[in-house]
Amino acid sequence: MAKPSLLGLLLVAPALAMIGALFLYPLGFSLAAAFTEPGGGLSLMHFQKAYELYSTDILFTLFIVVVSTLLTALFSIAIAGILTLGETPWLVAALRALYRWPLFIPFIVAAQCMRTFLAKNGLMNNSFVALGLMEPLQATSLLDWRGIIITFVWKQVPFVTLMLAGAMASIDRATIEAGRNLGASRIRVLLELVLPQVGQTLLVGLVLSFVTMLSVLSVPMMVAGSQPTMLTVDMAFRINSYGDYATANALGVISYAIAGTVAWIYLRHSVKREVQA
Amino acid sequence: MSGKVQASSALALAGSGARPDTEGRIWAFGSTILKVAGLAAFAFLLFGPLANLVLWSVAERWYTPFKLPVSYGLRYWEVVFRPTGDAMTSLMTSVGIACLTVLVALAVSIPAGYALARLKLPWRTALMILFLLPQAFPSVAIYINVARVFYSIGLTGTITGVVLVHAAHGLVYSVWIAAAAFAAVDRDLELAARNIGASPLRTFFTVTLPLAAPGIMASAIFVFLESLDEFTGTFFVGVPQVTTLPLLLYNASMGGNYQIASITALILLVPSVVFMLVIERFLKADVLSKVGQ
Amino acid sequence: MRRSLLAAGLAAFFLSSAASAQTLNVATAGDQNMVDYIKDYLGPLFEKSHPGVKVVAVGTGPGDGGSQKIFEKLDAQKQAASASDFDVVVIHQKAAGTMVQGDLLKKYRDVLPTGKLVTRDTATNSLGTDVSGYVMPMFHSQTAIAYNPDLIKNPPNNYAELREWVKKNPKQFGYNGIKGGMSGVAFVTGWISAFGGDPAKLEKGPYDAATKATWDKAMADLKEFNQNVVITPGNAGTLDMLNRGEIAMGPVWVDMFYTWKADGKLPPNMRLKLVSPGMPGQPMYYAIPAKTAQEKLAAEFIALATSPDVQAEGIVKRFNWYPGIDAKNLEGKLDQAAWNQLFADIPPDTLAANGKPFPIGPYFNDILETYEKKVAN
Repeated sequence: MAKPSLLGLLLVAPALAMIGALFLYPLGFSLAAAFTEPGGGLSLMHFQKAYELYSTDILFTLFIVVVSTLLTALFSIAIAGILTLGETPWLVAALRALYRWPLFIPFIVAAQCMRTFLAKNGLMNNSFVALGLMEPLQATSLLDWRGIIITFVWKQVPFVTLMLAGAMASIDRATIEAGRNLGASRIRVLLELVLPQVGQTLLVGLVLSFVTMLSVLSVPMMVAGSQPTMLTVDMAFRINSYGDYATANALGVISYAIAGTVAWIYLRHSVKREVQA
Repeated sequence: MSGKVQASSALALAGSGARPDTEGRIWAFGSTILKVAGLAAFAFLLFGPLANLVLWSVAERWYTPFKLPVSYGLRYWEVVFRPTGDAMTSLMTSVGIACLTVLVALAVSIPAGYALARLKLPWRTALMILFLLPQAFPSVAIYINVARVFYSIGLTGTITGVVLVHAAHGLVYSVWIAAAAFAAVDRDLELAARNIGASPLRTFFTVTLPLAAPGIMASAIFVFLESLDEFTGTFFVGVPQVTTLPLLLYNASMGGNYQIASITALILLVPSVVFMLVIERFLKADVLSKVGQ
Repeated sequence: MRRSLLAAGLAAFFLSSAASAQTLNVATAGDQNMVDYIKDYLGPLFEKSHPGVKVVAVGTGPGDGGSQKIFEKLDAQKQAASASDFDVVVIHQKAAGTMVQGDLLKKYRDVLPTGKLVTRDTATNSLGTDVSGYVMPMFHSQTAIAYNPDLIKNPPNNYAELREWVKKNPKQFGYNGIKGGMSGVAFVTGWISAFGGDPAKLEKGPYDAATKATWDKAMADLKEFNQNVVITPGNAGTLDMLNRGEIAMGPVWVDMFYTWKADGKLPPNMRLKLVSPGMPGQPMYYAIPAKTAQEKLAAEFIALATSPDVQAEGIVKRFNWYPGIDAKNLEGKLDQAAWNQLFADIPPDTLAANGKPFPIGPYFNDILETYEKKVAN
């Protein structure tokens, strides 16, 4: 086991080649642009500019993505928990049939739907008013950071739940039954028995969600006004308005660093777990 | 499963037998009401935004102060499906590309996922991060350079080129999820197969792969959806020879052309749902399971 | 048997991308209706006069982003030294300047039969870059303030009145900042022209890097102004909020405004007002990529598209857009009703007086970046 496996390298090779040719090689040009000054020397000037102009947006992006990921985790655990431990067959069946639908809606369409749903005079507030749950004057628009988070959570919960519910369904029912027979509440069974066994799946799903949300342009662009906004919008703006690829790429590198850090934390954690196990 | 569940809830009821019967009934009734209300709220949040989509697809006029469309009609469906509109052709192209993308992505990510999960690899963490990154970078900058490379080797404007670009992007899902799925397969089962004389290859195809299949199939769904929704890469590599439906969707949606965008999105729902159902039929029942653990 | 059928099907699928005998590829930035205009109207018209030719239209997305994508694709082709796969491109002003400077376009207008039908400054000058000969305007667009006359009886006549109005009616005016599209950008450049100094210098040059320091007051005022407005998500976002009555007034592109109205997405009584001292407008250009293999065909296509008949029927009548060629060439091609409709909200003399070009490139960038630093931050 100590020696790297040649077979392993061979098996990874095709995928690596593909990433290398279709992603790393083109990425090289972008990185070069981000780190060189107009004259050609190495420089961090583009990062300085990115920081000067977009420091608020970097924090805003982090805030949005972190909050969305946490909420996604919460809702996915709840839904997957009901699907696995629910004792009302019709409820489980209905939930199972329902929760997946947003998965099939592209982000750009989700953004369009939310823009018309969450607005001040949108379908949601109109429905509440029609049902008598709200006075028309109380209606407020959610088309700001809240709208972005709602859209992300709406879109990503089915993704994580799909993975999580699958994993939960395949764990040994005997432990669950044992826990229930000992009088543990379903919430305790979920949190103390089920969740630890599917933790890895949950984390993989969340890491993928995190990175996906970081890369979406259409949602912040279409759901919320631009002050402050997410990094993807700033990148598009740098390119479309100034033809300034260097700063856009510098912002890309920052976005990379965020994604890479999260993945690294996850992988460290999972390696530790493997060692312990 | 539900048999067991009923049995255990029957037990729970028996345990609370001291409670008068009527109170139990009220309790059950209240809980049902609560569940119905919860489910209704969930359904509202889930389908509210989608209701917008459906309404806009048949709304011919809809503006303030009207809360619902002023007039309904199929005018925009006719626009989408008009003879010069090419909607059906580009839909077929999109679906074809998505299927091929799934094949390509799985073909390279199954071996890679296995190696990452089971074999000793140097820089494993770095490799895993590497596979995640195509998702994290602003794709436009990458695709411009890909297009440049593809022009010089004649891959632009071909289905192959578009499939390659989509597959590279899909690897994010397929490699990560495949690696997790293989890691979850019980090593003892493999050892048992080896002990009774199966070759490593045979063990892989008869024991490991089938056990990891559910997770891999789940990743296939995500790759399929990712490809079906992609437009930036398609534009740089495929257009004008290869045009897919999401290009129309993107244009219409960004321009606030709600009717056309809604109809296009509804059309794209069909292959997505069909693909999902086919995969589930494959997998039997409710276990898109074993992803990770 | 089944397998061979499948193979045949796959082969057909892979080959379907091969171009037919003569295909004219037209790439257009802008909204989907521009694509549809070529697909449904211009394309078939051209195919009728050129048997055997097939016109393929593809959209690249609304706003400057759409033009930028065309630029990027042409640039990638140039760097790979391969022939261009677009034969005609429809682009915004800003991209046209960049493409001319990058040698990505052909000089064709001088030999075009319709080339002399346009005398407007924007046909030769794109934000300070000389583009004469390289571009031909498809239509001309203009930004203006859209308002709901049910809510606003007397719309403001100029920027100063608008500012007062917003103070009295907070959160009733909305615009999309500068990152969400050009209608917001136009509003901001109009603001700088109105409160920040010498509009003529911004439009004509010469460029002086020190000028931007004189905008500090105007930018600070704009920041204060922003406290009472709604920042909308994009060009379409402004129209979207007008649609639901969440704002009563906002800057929009005139062409988009009419399209939304025609699509039933704005109340029919919605009106436009071009406030003084003026708001910018810009044309969409037809251009021919330098490395197209179909130069002759492309030029013929543009000649048809900019002929008085097509401009009258296609641009003015169909979309209610301002023609790309000089309006006097359309006389006699249009009935009075269509003509009046075109100038219903903004009479010709107001358009002439208050319809401005965008500032020249360097000032344009300075305005945007100063806004980012001083207003948005």
